[in-house]
Amino acid sequence: MSSVHYGDPQIAIGLTFAVLALLLAAAFGVIAFQAGSEVGTQRVHDVGYWLRKRWLALLLVIGVLVVGISLFDLPFATGSGVGRTVVKVTGGQFFWSLSPGRVPVGSHVRFDVTSVDVNHGFGLYDPHGHLIGSVQAMPGYDNELDLNLTEAGVYQIRCLELCGLNHSTMESTFTVTRR
Amino acid sequence: MEAATTASPPVLHPRALAFTVEARGSERRIGLLFGATGVVLIAGMGVLGLIMRLTQATVISLSPAWFYRLLTLHGVGMITGALLATMGALWYVLHASVPLRTGRMLATYVVTIAGVLAVLVATLAGGFGAGWAFLPPLPFYPAGQWSVWSESLFFVGNLLVGAGFCVFCIDVLEQTTNTYGGLVRTLGWHYLRGREEKAPPPQAIAATVVAIDGLISCAVGSTILLGLLGRTYDHTVGIDALVAKNLVYFFGHSIANLTIYLAAAVVYVLVPRYAGRPYETTKVFVAGWTGSLVFIATAYSHHLYMDFVQPTWAGIVSEVASYGALLPVAVITIYSMTMLIWGSRYQWTLASTLLYIGFAGWAIGGVGAVIDSLIPINFRLHNTTWVVAHFHTYLILCVVVWAVAFLAHLLERDAGRTSSRAATAWTVALILVGGYGLTGTWFVEGALGIPRRYAIQPSGTSGYSIVGASFALLLALGFLSLFIQLITLARSAWERRHVYPLVVHMDSWTGTHYRTRVTSAESGAALEVARPVRRGVPLASHAQLGFGVAACIVALAAFFPQVINASEVSNRYHHLDHAGQFFLGAMAGLLLGSLPAVSRRFGDRSSLGLLMVLAAPMLMMLIMVPRIYEPLERDPFEHGLYHLAMAAFGLVTGLGATRLGLVTGRVMFILSVGMPLMFAAAMK
Repeated sequence: MSSVHYGDPQIAIGLTFAVLALLLAAAFGVIAFQAGSEVGTQRVHDVGYWLRKRWLALLLVIGVLVVGISLFDLPFATGSGVGRTVVKVTGGQFFWSLSPGRVPVGSHVRFDVTSVDVNHGFGLYDPHGHLIGSVQAMPGYDNELDLNLTEAGVYQIRCLELCGLNHSTMESTFTVTRR
Repeated sequence: MEAATTASPPVLHPRALAFTVEARGSERRIGLLFGATGVVLIAGMGVLGLIMRLTQATVISLSPAWFYRLLTLHGVGMITGALLATMGALWYVLHASVPLRTGRMLATYVVTIAGVLAVLVATLAGGFGAGWAFLPPLPFYPAGQWSVWSESLFFVGNLLVGAGFCVFCIDVLEQTTNTYGGLVRTLGWHYLRGREEKAPPPQAIAATVVAIDGLISCAVGSTILLGLLGRTYDHTVGIDALVAKNLVYFFGHSIANLTIYLAAAVVYVLVPRYAGRPYETTKVFVAGWTGSLVFIATAYSHHLYMDFVQPTWAGIVSEVASYGALLPVAVITIYSMTMLIWGSRYQWTLASTLLYIGFAGWAIGGVGAVIDSLIPINFRLHNTTWVVAHFHTYLILCVVVWAVAFLAHLLERDAGRTSSRAATAWTVALILVGGYGLTGTWFVEGALGIPRRYAIQPSGTSGYSIVGASFALLLALGFLSLFIQLITLARSAWERRHVYPLVVHMDSWTGTHYRTRVTSAESGAALEVARPVRRGVPLASHAQLGFGVAACIVALAAFFPQVINASEVSNRYHHLDHAGQFFLGAMAGLLLGSLPAVSRRFGDRSSLGLLMVLAAPMLMMLIMVPRIYEPLERDPFEHGLYHLAMAAFGLVTGLGATRLGLVTGRVMFILSVGMPLMFAAAMK
């Protein structure tokens, strides 16, 4: 769980956030320093409003790019699932049931996830302990999660939705065998 | 409107004297009551947070049962504390220009506190621990931890908190739209289109947006809470987990989100007082808050990204709205305020320093939130501690800090001084290091995939909890130091109380007179509040009345035997038919109460109208459970009476709405008739 791979998307996300947060902190530091000085209101308006237009434009461009790109990488299962190994996943207080419980490496798996009682969160961690995806287990509904499992080993399943007393120990495993 | 005065205490910027108004006694008292109660509640809930973090670090031992009780109480209590403080602060800054009613605000206080007490008993004594989001159907699967009475009490407590907020929002919407001449003018749209020279002040526009979104959230929240309450005494009631989840998150997300927007409306008034530059409404401001009106109500669905059965378009709308919500915040609120501060010889006091650091908390926490709102990223971070990290960043380091800043502002002004520079510096340093250390640890844990809401942390990760708990202790020390300074300021203010003479004022709500202390520069006449008035009725013209008649005729179909029989196929359709009967009654009530002769006869019974419009839909939904209506259906007469009762509840609702004026009356009518529809969708 605690091991770190620098190539992991989460680490890239974390570093991006850290850089942005530090930039913001620096900006607020500069503004706080400048707050004690005296600058004419007209000058602040002239420069500030000029800059604000560019700031809005920048945020719009970033937004269109980031949101636009993200829409091409949606994790929702598509298609009928033909050619995929369907693994039926059922969550309940406080267990996971998977059928089948193992697949060969390289399998294109469709996890068909539901719950027999309350909402649970099906979180799948690879053999290194990295969260590679999640989907909710909801009573009365089947959520389908498509994943290509390219690494052999024991994958861990953790509950990612508060489901009651033993939520934090609701675990199971799923094995990807070598061919 | 009161006149500008030159007697402000020296804690403010010298230039601010030109546009800063003295607070009336009622404003100070309401501000202090709500601010102090909210901050005390926040402090108590903060202690619970610290206990939970120490438990995760295995420094102290707490059973999972108690962990989840505290987690549930911590969530509801924190949001309610923030809500109380920010509502009081908004009332304080808005009352100068809008005749809000003191009685309504006190009703809000009493109802909200009753709700908090109910949740306190339900969790600590009753053992309820389904989390503050109470994701259905978890409350009904207690795993031996709580009983029916505690889940019922928890729902009632949440309903009361929602009702308290609702009363506040109704009063704000009623009085802003009455003061500025209708919804379109109040939101500044006439000004935006160049039809008018002047727009309402920023705090009025922001307050109106908050009130509208707040009322929508309360209607949605009340619907699901009433459905769940009904489920406690009729176990045959089914719950559609997906619809229920949508309703719960719409309510929870929006209410939590609105605390920050409430606080922003206050900041528009307070920051200029320390920067010495007035902040006025611009077209960009109006456009931004119009965007916020939409984005606040549409962003919630990002909580359901990992529910793949939710329509894809809903996720995309939410993703766009979540990013869109960033724009007004980044381009208007934070940017404009920092422009105001830049080169202003900002008056650094305890309050103004807290106000300033709040902007950083909102900005940094907001970036974390926007990152998580992208669906492919959420796929890797959903329900990890990343979520905890970003919302604690802007709740602790912005909303809570601003709530305390408001209290400090009141006390500084009354005390005529601020804390020492050294004390302020140490306090703020502790809060910043402790706060960002605490949330930073959660960000790291989230990036590593550690799940949230774990009473027992996954093996090998307790080190993060120990680091996080250490920062949490620093944060607690910072807040302790802050509270000591507030108490010192309060003592100074108390010692100065005789500086202010006693004068007689008229209560705008009751018309009675009372004695209050004001600063020497204030005159009784200048401080008199305009009397609240009701303007218009929901159906004002002949065409609108005609529309009402036509809608009633169409809604009569809900009483046709063929329709009633057809609706018997499922509870959902049955409830839909009841919703139709309720609509017929509500429309008839709206029509009747809008008729000039009837409206004159009723007079200005706004508070009665508010009570009717809140209570009638709730009662209607409380009796809409099979256990109550199925025995009645065996007898055609009793069955008919039951359906007439549905319409009667509607009639009361519609009549009540007409007493709230044109805008608020229409809004409450639409929300009230929408509630049974949502109920029918969620409870099957």
